Amino acid sequence: MQFACVFKRMLVVAACALGAVSTLAVGAASAEGRLKEILDRGAVRVGVQGALKPWGFPAPDGTLQGIEVDLGKSVADALGVKFEPVIITSANRMQFLQQGKIDVIIGGMYDTAERRKIVGMIEPAYWASGPSLMAKKGVIKNWKDLADKPVCGKQGLYYNKQVETDFKAKVIAFAGNTEAKEALRTGKCIAYLYDDVGIMADLDQPEWAEYEMPVAVLYNNPWASAVPLDELNKGWGVFMAGMAYRWQAGGTLIELERKWGLKQSDWFVEQNKKHHWDTGYLAPQK
Amino acid sequence: MSRRPFQLDPRLLVSGRVLSALDWRHGAALLVMFAASLTFASAQSAAAPPATPSALATLATWTPHILRGFVLNLVMSFLAMALATVLGIGLGLMQISPSRLLRLPARFFTLLLRNSPWLVILFAIMYFLPIEIRIPGGKPIEFPDWLKATLAFSLPVAGNVSEILRGAVNSIPTGQWESADGLAFTRAQTLRWIILPQCIRRAIPPWMNWYALLTLSTPMASIFSVHEAVWNAQSSMEAAGARPELLLPFYLFLLCLFFIYIYPIAICTRKLERKYAVAT
Amino acid sequence: MLELISPLFRELYDRTGLNFTVFYERYEYDRFVGGASVSLQLIFWSLLLSLIIGVLGAWSQNSQSRALRICADAYIQVFRNTPPMIQLLFFYFGLGAFTPAFDMGGYSQPIISAFGWAVLSLGIFGGAFNVEIFRSGLEAVPASTLEAAESLCFTRWQTYIYVSLPLAFRISLPALTNNLVSLAKTTSLAYVISVPEMTYVLNQVWSDNVNVPEMMWVLFLFYVGVITLLSYGLHALERRLALPGYGR
Repeated sequence: MQFACVFKRMLVVAACALGAVSTLAVGAASAEGRLKEILDRGAVRVGVQGALKPWGFPAPDGTLQGIEVDLGKSVADALGVKFEPVIITSANRMQFLQQGKIDVIIGGMYDTAERRKIVGMIEPAYWASGPSLMAKKGVIKNWKDLADKPVCGKQGLYYNKQVETDFKAKVIAFAGNTEAKEALRTGKCIAYLYDDVGIMADLDQPEWAEYEMPVAVLYNNPWASAVPLDELNKGWGVFMAGMAYRWQAGGTLIELERKWGLKQSDWFVEQNKKHHWDTGYLAPQK
Repeated sequence: MSRRPFQLDPRLLVSGRVLSALDWRHGAALLVMFAASLTFASAQSAAAPPATPSALATLATWTPHILRGFVLNLVMSFLAMALATVLGIGLGLMQISPSRLLRLPARFFTLLLRNSPWLVILFAIMYFLPIEIRIPGGKPIEFPDWLKATLAFSLPVAGNVSEILRGAVNSIPTGQWESADGLAFTRAQTLRWIILPQCIRRAIPPWMNWYALLTLSTPMASIFSVHEAVWNAQSSMEAAGARPELLLPFYLFLLCLFFIYIYPIAICTRKLERKYAVAT
Repeated sequence: MLELISPLFRELYDRTGLNFTVFYERYEYDRFVGGASVSLQLIFWSLLLSLIIGVLGAWSQNSQSRALRICADAYIQVFRNTPPMIQLLFFYFGLGAFTPAFDMGGYSQPIISAFGWAVLSLGIFGGAFNVEIFRSGLEAVPASTLEAAESLCFTRWQTYIYVSLPLAFRISLPALTNNLVSLAKTTSLAYVISVPEMTYVLNQVWSDNVNVPEMMWVLFLFYVGVITLLSYGLHALERRLALPGYGR
């Protein structure tokens, strides 16, 4: 009899659970005054990339390092709170932000019109990149040379299809960059399709001395940090916009570029000039 | 047991398997082979510029990071197996129920879970389960990616546990049900006191087999950036400059890692199988 | 085919927002058909290879050479006790680097493509299970039957091919069916080395068109369909070949 009882009880519990699940509401957190919340909490949670050198990648002891991590730390320092990095993926980052699991994304996110409907994109952007190619020297002259040739890429990048349809290339998309680059090195494809900034970082390494970036980017898309949409014009969003302006005008980004061994991109120099405030009027008039 | 000439042993027909020699020395020899190929693999990197550390040195630097990931593999495998066992027993009991209303849906779900590839179930769970569920008034229940992956791995195993249970119950001679009937046991009592205790013994070896298979599937979570051993290995390779000569030693190391964990389980499973095969 | 169904699915999209791109857009449809055909070929060749390996392995496990027996045993243990996904990555990236390739001007066509490595790796993985299954079948063949063959002056190989193997095959068919079906499911793992099979293709489609739920259904139904057909076929074979007088 005991068993029957247990079984019946299990059924009742299961039925209750089912009932509970059906009445669930999946809702978004509405954070009121995020800036105050962060200060009260004493920590800022920053969504960063986990495996993209040199933006966000692990150190051997498991902690994170990289440009985006440094940017996140500068936010924490300015607020005088603890820095808490949270690794995000392109699939979950906007959800994390909406649900309040992170306060800000500094994670290689393209600023696009569709995304602006979902999250609060901070202006000015802190980086920019666009699709380009890495290939053995002299093999590729322009994008049209890709016709009917295998091209290695990374899964989930939305310019893969564009390169397939516009240039008739056969894109073989791998799960990780290491794999895609290994496929290029062993000659499984004619070129490696990726963001120009990533390619430039690789070309600085001695292993890739025989390779080049033979084509110009198809387009340049800024990377913006983002806060929850309803925070964009409140304290938190305005504070982040100030940080982003300082990163550009104050030369933080150029410093970080140098620190992590990146080549200076033209977009960058131009942005720096644009945001630089001419303080010439402060000089004593003669 | 004496066999008549030209007579097949029906026991072998049912179990479909015979025990192969398995012992520690075998495993140790295989590990030596692994180590040898690891050294060979790192010798391949001699062509790299002298300033960069050798592939083996890089692997040594990142080993703690990969091992930390492996702990997550183990945690996922334990949780998923526990969940699969509970779900599987529930489904299995429904499958042997005399009520058609319980039996048919259970049969359908078991078949569905057993017939879909693990990877497809993983994709479905990862995309469709929300990150958190809010119960009105209560605290939100969070589903981080690794927990979702754990749930995804438990589902196909639950289908198989359900099938193991059904098979084990069906392998108990009808006479036992009838004698229990004769003693005025109810169906539930018969199950609880007579049938299921015998099933446990029969079900343990296949159950352990499924645990091993489940653990071997956990690396699939790396596709969704769950920070387990394979993802950590891949991110370490990226951090170490994505040098191609790293791939061979890193993947070999991962193979070793799983082998060291799974092989003793395989030996244990075989021992139990042999023990129970003799006992029956 | 596409002309026939495309208006239907286009209208479905316009009316309900259910976006089955692969059934009305030429580019995605071609991808889908390609993925289906690669998946089916992958399943066929991996199953075939695993069967061949199973037969040969079972033979070498029963051979008189000790070295051959040890090799067969080591093979089984290594491939049964490591994750198939890492095996695939290891084969493709680890060993793929050492195979010869033809220069095609800037890139090279390796002798073994990603598809080839997937077949090899999955075949070897599934084969490790098949060896054990066949061997258990062989061991169930009564010794007296083998003695009878010997007295008819059959050589060892002849006995294996004409007497033990056919019997063992029929004995081990139930276990074999299970393993082949599970291997067919495992082929979706070829996704990790970018073989353009169904999982990979639909993954591309949904990241291009942001229609994950619809494509997930297509993926799910494709595999459930293929696996059900396969297991139905194998079970029919099992019933035809069942040894009379045994089992239910």
